[in-house]
Amino acid sequence: MSLPDTQTLLQAVSSGLLLGGIFALGALGLSLVLGVMRLVNLVHGELVVLGSYLALALLNSAGLDPLLAAPLVFLGVAALGYPLHRLVLAPVARSGEEGPLLTTFALSIIAQNVFIQVFSGDTRALDRPYTRTSVHLLGITLPTVYLAGFGISLAVTAVVYLLMTRTGFGRQLRSSAEDPTAAAIVGVNVARVHALTYALAGGLAAVGGILIALCFSFTPTSGTEYLLVGFTIVVLGGLGSVFGTFAGGVSLGVLQSLGAATLGDGYRTFVGLVLFLVILAVRPEGLFRRRMAA
Amino acid sequence: MTAPDLLTRAPDVPGPRRLPPLTRELGLLAALAVALFLVPYVAGEYVLQIGYLVLQLAALGTAWNLLAGYTGMVSLGSAAFVGIGVYTVAELDNHSSLPLPLAFLLAGAAAAVFALLVSPAMFRLRGLYFTIGTLALAEALRLWMVNSSLFGGASGIFLRSRAPKSYALYWMVLGAAVLATAVTLVVLRLPLALRLNAIRDDEDVAKQMGVFTFRTKLIAFSLSAFLMGVVGGIQALNLGVVEPYGSFGLSWTVDIVMVAIIGGLATRTGPWIGAAFAVVLEEALKGYAELHLAITGIVVLLVIRFAPRGVRGTLTARVRPRASLTGDRGR
Repeated sequence: MSLPDTQTLLQAVSSGLLLGGIFALGALGLSLVLGVMRLVNLVHGELVVLGSYLALALLNSAGLDPLLAAPLVFLGVAALGYPLHRLVLAPVARSGEEGPLLTTFALSIIAQNVFIQVFSGDTRALDRPYTRTSVHLLGITLPTVYLAGFGISLAVTAVVYLLMTRTGFGRQLRSSAEDPTAAAIVGVNVARVHALTYALAGGLAAVGGILIALCFSFTPTSGTEYLLVGFTIVVLGGLGSVFGTFAGGVSLGVLQSLGAATLGDGYRTFVGLVLFLVILAVRPEGLFRRRMAA
Repeated sequence: MTAPDLLTRAPDVPGPRRLPPLTRELGLLAALAVALFLVPYVAGEYVLQIGYLVLQLAALGTAWNLLAGYTGMVSLGSAAFVGIGVYTVAELDNHSSLPLPLAFLLAGAAAAVFALLVSPAMFRLRGLYFTIGTLALAEALRLWMVNSSLFGGASGIFLRSRAPKSYALYWMVLGAAVLATAVTLVVLRLPLALRLNAIRDDEDVAKQMGVFTFRTKLIAFSLSAFLMGVVGGIQALNLGVVEPYGSFGLSWTVDIVMVAIIGGLATRTGPWIGAAFAVVLEEALKGYAELHLAITGIVVLLVIRFAPRGVRGTLTARVRPRASLTGDRGR
């Protein structure tokens, strides 16, 4: 363990910042679902990986570029998320917190093993010409795809922000999060809003999965790591806050890169998890208690 | 919350009125233990290996049940405690010549000490956040074990002694399963059981009523960790070579949760039933590991939805009304 020089540090911080922004999109849905319906969605990581696999399948079968396929993948996973919530998660939600939690845990086990069955256990990657080029800037080298992914993630986050603050659905979503009973009294179909939120979260996770898969290789079980990274981001950024999640992702990315630069690359995820545990231990309710501020 | 309310939520209810006498249940357990002890004299290698798996899961499920079922602390960090047990015995085997039972006890103690050390942080988390926290804790420990060179790193360590015969391993894990169940049976008769259940039902109210919640949770957490550590220690001997990916792997956590849920949370025999079910299903689908796990996942999903009290709890619920009609034909 040695202290890296300024150049290495700058390199680490800037690539960490970009990657953090990309991972933030993967975590946005987790934050929404937790914030709106207080559901700890342990299958979230698998929704991210599902996005990666769907993009890979579309690339291999139809030659469709993953970035062009993103809207299609968003719709596909969202279309899966809606009935998943309505038929599987909503019915168990009535009997306390443990039922839905362990149901999502079971779903994640099922999904991981279906992935292995369908796509084999091999490590995969989304390989495109632009994933191999880099941009040189002020003496640091940044992969083009990091910059593009960061931009896309920021743009999608902005759209979600507008959706939540400027539309009728956004109003219903925020009111359902604030007080489901009161929302229902004034005519909000809370069950539908919850299912739609879940669908939106799934779609966002899948698009995040495409961006992540353009940067890193993935396996059927990568979802567990994405889930924990997602929780760390949510805790850092504040529950249910759209741009807070983005900021959380960026700060996690920077901190992880600094950790990896000083301790060694294998410790990247470890640094994130320790950070997560420390924040939870120091401010367990404080960071989570924030209301849906959009 | 009134006292009768506390007493009616789970199939297993502490207190002398609802539970059969301790001596009778321990007697039944002893009889079962003797019967299972004799299995190696009549059965072949295959049965012993299956028996090892069933008893291992029964012991782990029972340990988890103490925490999740009776105390309401749904932990997804079981792999950490099993892994610590595995590594403790592996290290002891290489650096000492302690007798095995002592090594297993130390494996359990190491896991319990770890539970003690992380409890101040973990117990600040309630409900769902405790669950996520334990999951992160176990993953962090696994990644540290993989990356750090302190305990052999990613390549793991070889045990000096050779793996015991399969009947010996079977007996060891039988001992662990019986120990875990006996501990549960005793705990359920102690006043502690009421405090554990009170925390499960409403931690704030329990605190208001004068329960030292931190201390009580710590007892359940470290007791459960101890039992898991012992099972991990036995697993180290079974493996011969230990490496961090498997020893601290999430599959421990997955298996334990599935066994406990299918068998029935907060039931004494549930983990044994769940373990038998899980292993039988695994054998039936041998060669299709992924299919087996996916199907187990679906079974868990269906159990949570349609029989949330598991196999054991559902059976009890069906029998009880009839039993009360006929008077004394209870459990």
